[in-house]
Amino acid sequence: MENNAKTPFSAIKVVECGEGIPAAFGAKMLADLGAEVIKVESPEGDLARRRGPFPGDAVDPERSGIFIYLNTNKRGVVADLKRPEGRELLGKLIADADVLIHNVPPPERAAQGLDSAALCAAHPKLIVTSISIFGDTGPYANWRGYDLTVANAGGWAYLSPGASPFADQPPLKCFGSQGDFQGGVTAAMLTLAAYMNRLKTGKGQAIDVSEQECIAAMLEMNLMHWTYAHRETSRLGSRLLGPWFIADCADGKIFALAVEEEQWKRLVELMGNPEWASEDLFKDRIARGQNQDALKALMGEWLSQWKVQDLYREAQKRRIPFAPVNTMRDLYESEHLSERDFFVPIEQPGVGTVRLPGMPSKYARSQWALRRPAPRLGEHTEEVFCGEFGVTRDRLVELRKAGIA
Amino acid sequence: MADLPLAGIRVLDFTWAWAGPFCTMQLAHLGAEVIRVETTARPACVTRLIPPFADDVPGPNRAGYFNQYNQGKKAITLNLTKPEAIEIALALAKHADVVTDNYAAGVMDKLGLGYDKLRTVKPDIIMISMSGYGQTGPYKGFVGYGPPASAACGMFYATGYEGGDPGEIGVSYPDPNAGIFGAFAIMAALTHRALTGEGQYIDQSQLETALVLMPEGLLQYDLAKHEPERHGNHDPVMAPHDCYKAAGDDEKWVSIAVGTEAEWSSLCHAIGQPQLADDPRFKTQALRKQNEAALDQIITTWTSARDRWESTRILQAAGVAAFPSMGNKDLAEDPHLTERGYLVQLEHPEVGKRVHAGIPWKMSGTPTSVRKPAPIRGADTEEVLKSLLGFTLDRIEQLRKSEVLI
Repeated sequence: MENNAKTPFSAIKVVECGEGIPAAFGAKMLADLGAEVIKVESPEGDLARRRGPFPGDAVDPERSGIFIYLNTNKRGVVADLKRPEGRELLGKLIADADVLIHNVPPPERAAQGLDSAALCAAHPKLIVTSISIFGDTGPYANWRGYDLTVANAGGWAYLSPGASPFADQPPLKCFGSQGDFQGGVTAAMLTLAAYMNRLKTGKGQAIDVSEQECIAAMLEMNLMHWTYAHRETSRLGSRLLGPWFIADCADGKIFALAVEEEQWKRLVELMGNPEWASEDLFKDRIARGQNQDALKALMGEWLSQWKVQDLYREAQKRRIPFAPVNTMRDLYESEHLSERDFFVPIEQPGVGTVRLPGMPSKYARSQWALRRPAPRLGEHTEEVFCGEFGVTRDRLVELRKAGIA
Repeated sequence: MADLPLAGIRVLDFTWAWAGPFCTMQLAHLGAEVIRVETTARPACVTRLIPPFADDVPGPNRAGYFNQYNQGKKAITLNLTKPEAIEIALALAKHADVVTDNYAAGVMDKLGLGYDKLRTVKPDIIMISMSGYGQTGPYKGFVGYGPPASAACGMFYATGYEGGDPGEIGVSYPDPNAGIFGAFAIMAALTHRALTGEGQYIDQSQLETALVLMPEGLLQYDLAKHEPERHGNHDPVMAPHDCYKAAGDDEKWVSIAVGTEAEWSSLCHAIGQPQLADDPRFKTQALRKQNEAALDQIITTWTSARDRWESTRILQAAGVAAFPSMGNKDLAEDPHLTERGYLVQLEHPEVGKRVHAGIPWKMSGTPTSVRKPAPIRGADTEEVLKSLLGFTLDRIEQLRKSEVLI
C-alpha cells in the first residue's frame, strides 16, 4: 500500500520526539499532507505502544491502535537521547530538518539536547515546536502532568458533566486524551504559521504551546461568568435552555435538544401537540431549561416509543437538532460517514486491516492520504542513519549493542 | 518588531455562533486582518445574546461569550438578504485571501457567495465551510450544534461515571474543536498557496473533526470488537488516576495521576506512607489497577485532610502529577496564567477593562499578542468600505438608509 507520491508539503522535513499523543498528533497532521516525518523513539519505544487498544485486548507494542493511528505516514528510528551518542544521532536529523516538534517536559529538555533557545541559536532556520502541560515558563512550568491533569488544570473537568445531579461525584474528565490532542493540533497550526513566516524571512523560531491554556480557551463563556458578572460556575446547576438532555428510546439513547423557539414549536408538533407543552413551566427556552426534570419526565414516554434512527431523521427533517448517542459500532456503520469515506482502511503489518479515523477537513487540492503504515520500533533506523546520514553499519551495530539505537 | 506570520492576509468572515469565530480568532492572533460580517436585520449572533453580560446589563456588545471569541477582529454590517449587499460582499472577497463560513451546507451557494462564484472574482481564494455534517452525504442538510455533535461523535457514549449512563461533557467541545481544526486547515491551504500559487475549497464537517479525537474508543471497537467502558476519571492503564475530594467546602477537588513506578514510590513517600511502596497489593501498575478501589480510599483519606493546593504542592515537589480541579474564578486569578501573560485585560469601549483568556502559545520570532478587544457591532463598516472599496460617506449613508449596511 505504500504510496510515496510527493505533495507540496513533501518539502517540509520534520523530526518528532517525545512520548504519547501531543507531538505525535501534531506531526501526524503535517505527515498526512505529505510532510516527511522522522519519529525518534527511545529504545523502550513510545509510551503509546503500551496503551492500546490492542487486537483481542492482548498487549503488544507492535499492535497498539493508538500508536498506529498517530504514526502512519512516518518513518521511525531509535535513539536514546539520554546518552550522548543518541543525542549525536538526533543532531544529524535536526541539522537537516525544517521542523522539530516534541513534547519532552521542560525540566528534561536540556539533558536531551532539546533546549529551545540553544537549538534556535545553533540552527537559525529551524522551527522548534514544543508542547507541554503548563508551558515553558511560569511557576508551574516544571510541574508534571497527564491528560487528567490538563482536564482539571484547564477548568474543563470542573464543568463536566453539565447540569449534573451527582453532587457527591467528582468533576469528570471527558473520554480520551483531549488536552493532548488540542496541544497537538495547535502545535501543527503554529508550525505551519512559522513555516510561512520562514518562507518570507528565512528565519526559524521557537514555539511554546501550553495544553492547560489550550483547554482553558475552550470553556464557552464560563471564564467570563466570573470576569463579567462575578458568578462561579460548575458541573452542578441547571441548563441554560431546554430541552437539553440524553433520553432513552426503544433501542438506544438520543440527545434531545431545541435551541431556537421555532425548533421547539416544530418539536411540539412532532410530539402531537400535547396539552402540557403549553404550560407556563415550558413557556420559553429559559423556562424549559430551569424545569428540565419535569420536561424530561413528560417527554420520556413519547421518546421511549421511537427507534433512535427514526426519531433522528424525523426530527432533522423538521430541522430540530437531535442526535443519537452513537456507539463506536454505530459510527463504523454510519451510511453518512461511509458515503464521505471517513474511515480509512490501512494494512498494518502484523495486525491486518485497521479502519482509522480519517481526514478532519476535506481539501479540494491538498492531498491528504495515509501513504504508509506505522513503523515498527526502529524499523527505519538503518535506512535513515546509514542510508541518509553517513553512519556506518559497523557503528550502528555498536550503538545497538550499547542499547542506544 | 517582526511582522506576524499572517501579516497581509485578509479574512472575510461570515461565521457565527462559536466554532467559526473560534477559528478566525486564531488567525487574528497570528496577524491576519479578520473582517466579521454581521447584520442587525436578523437576530444577532447567538453569542451576543446570551449571558453573561458585563455587570448583568444585557446588550449585544456586552456579552462575554462574544467578546471572548472575537478578539482582534474588525466588524462590519451587511444585510445579505439584499442583492446590493451580495455585490459588496463579492467586491470585498476580491480583496480577501480567505473566506470562512459555518452555515448549514449549501447556504453560501444560495446566497451567491459559494466557492465557484468567489473564485471568479479571486482565482486563488481559499474558502472553508465548517458545517455540522459536511457538504456531501445523506446527512449534509442536518442541523448541527456542538452538544449534539458530542453525542453523535461517541463522546457522550464513552464518558461517564463508573457503571453509570453515558454522560454529557460539560462544554460544547466540538465547537472550538472544529474551529481549531479549521484554523489548521486554513494554515495548510495558505502554505499550499505559498508553495504552488493555488487556492482551494475546504469542506469541513464538525462531526468528523470530533471523530479524529476518538481513536482510543473507535479502535477498541475495530481491533477488539467491544465498546469502550465508562470508568469515570479512571484510566485503562494508570492507577491511581482520579479527581479526589479535598478539604474545604464540597466543591474542592484535586486530580492525581501516577504513570510510572518512580512516581508511585514518590507518592507513597510524599503522603507519609512509604510502606505502601512495598505493599503487595500495589507493587506493580497492573496490581494498582486491580486494587484501585482500596488505593483510591487511601488517597482520599490523605487529600480530604488538606487544602487542594497543599496536596498539589506536596505531590508536585515529589514529581507527581497533581493539580486542583480549577473553577472559573480559580483560572481568572491564577498566578501562573497571569505570569505567562495568558490572562489579558482588554479595554473594551462598552464594558471597560475585563479579563479574558488570551493566547495559549508563545512564538519567539514573531511574538503574538491580543491586538484589540472584540469589535462593537458594525464598528468598522465605514473604514473597511472606504479603504477597500473607495466608498464615499454619502454612498455609505445611502446604503444604510436602504438597509443594505445594517
